[in-house]
Amino acid sequence: MDQGPRKVPSFFLLKYGFVGPALVLLVAFNIFPLFSNIYFSFTDAESDLSGMKGVGGENYGTVFNKPMYGEAMRTTAVFTVVVVAVELVLGFCLALCLRDSFRGRDVVLTALLIPMMLCPLVVSLFWKLILNSNFGLFYLTLRDGLGMQDPPAILERSPLVAVMIVDIWMWTPFMMLIALAGLNSIPKYIYEAAEIDRAGRWTVFLRITLPMCAPILLLAVLLRTTDALKQFDLVMALVGENLSQTQTLSVLLYQRAIASQKVGEGAAYGFVILVAVIALSTLFTRYIDYIQRKQGKS
Amino acid sequence: MKAVRWVFIAAYLLVAAVPLVWLFVTSIKYDIDVTAEKVKWIPNPATPKNAPTVTFPPTVGQSWLLLNDKAYAQTEFPLIHYFINSLIVAFVSTLASVALGTSCAYGFSRFKIAGDKDWLFFILSTRFLPPLAVVVPILIMYRTLNLTDTMFGLILLYTVFNLSLAVWLMKGFIDEIPKAYEEAALVDGYSWMQAFWKIIVPQAATGMAVTAVFCLISAWNEFGFALILNNSQKAMTAPVIFKYFLGRTTGVPWALLAAGALLYAVPIIIFTVIVRKHILRGMTFGTIKQ
Repeated sequence: MDQGPRKVPSFFLLKYGFVGPALVLLVAFNIFPLFSNIYFSFTDAESDLSGMKGVGGENYGTVFNKPMYGEAMRTTAVFTVVVVAVELVLGFCLALCLRDSFRGRDVVLTALLIPMMLCPLVVSLFWKLILNSNFGLFYLTLRDGLGMQDPPAILERSPLVAVMIVDIWMWTPFMMLIALAGLNSIPKYIYEAAEIDRAGRWTVFLRITLPMCAPILLLAVLLRTTDALKQFDLVMALVGENLSQTQTLSVLLYQRAIASQKVGEGAAYGFVILVAVIALSTLFTRYIDYIQRKQGKS
Repeated sequence: MKAVRWVFIAAYLLVAAVPLVWLFVTSIKYDIDVTAEKVKWIPNPATPKNAPTVTFPPTVGQSWLLLNDKAYAQTEFPLIHYFINSLIVAFVSTLASVALGTSCAYGFSRFKIAGDKDWLFFILSTRFLPPLAVVVPILIMYRTLNLTDTMFGLILLYTVFNLSLAVWLMKGFIDEIPKAYEEAALVDGYSWMQAFWKIIVPQAATGMAVTAVFCLISAWNEFGFALILNNSQKAMTAPVIFKYFLGRTTGVPWALLAAGALLYAVPIIIFTVIVRKHILRGMTFGTIKQ
């Protein structure tokens, strides 16, 4: 911290003038809704708040007893584990391929960045064109091009897999990018030392590359996990909110609290999720702190 | 080993590029050709033979012009209207986020703020707060304040939504500016405000631009809150109208949608190319520097 002239009284106004407006807005849009959410969760509020009355813990009972909530949790867990794992493996392989510089590397890297920056709705739109089982490019190519008898109608028969495919398409480059940063941060002399010791390619990979990349890959996994748990856009665009197979946590909340107007129930559900996610976020922020301290040292 | 590498890169690039190419091909076809059970990479310019009396788009490639036509889309406004809404919302909220974020980041970077560590943790944590824990009260708050179905409501929300990212990114950039610059200015008789405007803002301009691009992209792409808070077609942003089309069971104007989707993606592609060197920083809250 600076040793500036901070004892001057008007300084107080000045420094809080800088940070104040942003903090007020953040509190108004996060802390205030958070508490009113807890309040609503103990009421039978529907979209019209008049005539709302307290119902004690009834909503929480509903959330823990209705099978659809448990199912949504399972769907989200399966979705998250699969997409994060596939993205990690694919992204890391890509990063290994793109590690050494070659002509056109910048172009390839830039091209790979585009999917994750696109609007999920736009992405879903063209994937719907591709996966459609009447006129989709993928379906027709399998049937006419490769002569497959009965190609899988992914979007209709296993919509969750379709959502996974699109998510993987969008976010693998993100893993690649972070893995690449990890690979680039490994000092060259370690590899040179390994060469002198005549370590084999696999040994070098398992004993040097992987462990040295691990912390940063874990960061990527945490970031992607918190994101995948919130999956909403792709499901809404590709499938809609009413199919139980693809109801992730957010989609189910939308269907209950917004479409069916069960505000109280939705609020209780939101709060349960929040408690679960706080644990993960704490882990994440602690981890960032750790990474930054490490960066500061080196 | 080298061959494996190239095959892998080529395969991935192909998978990444084909959807976008197919989107373009679709955008210049007749709707009746889009839904035909045959893969056609090159659109046939001849009017389809057994087409219904009115075939849309009237000529190949015309879907791009129909973006400004509401009759074909069967919406209250032509598709371009929703794009302009998106543009206004994204730009205004980005300006606000960057302005507030820069000033807040400067405060945290240069002054001793009581509990600064906790505040910064709080700012970061808001980004990881699942929207579903706050969406219901925000909806009710917006209804009470008559902010639903307005562009101002979305602008306000996106400003706050992007603020945490803006503060964290800008703090990273401002921390890198040597304090000696301002100290010299202060010795020369500048006030803190003058030092901020004349030293920090020009020095942090690149950082502000990068932050702005990230705010712009996330506001441009946002869908969830827009869907919930904004149901009037007058103030609706483009992602919500895309959802509206995708939710139709019949009569989806595919060629028009493809043209619209591509048009909606173009600015993002351009911006991605511009900030490619900073993307990692932006996506990880400045925790990883490139």
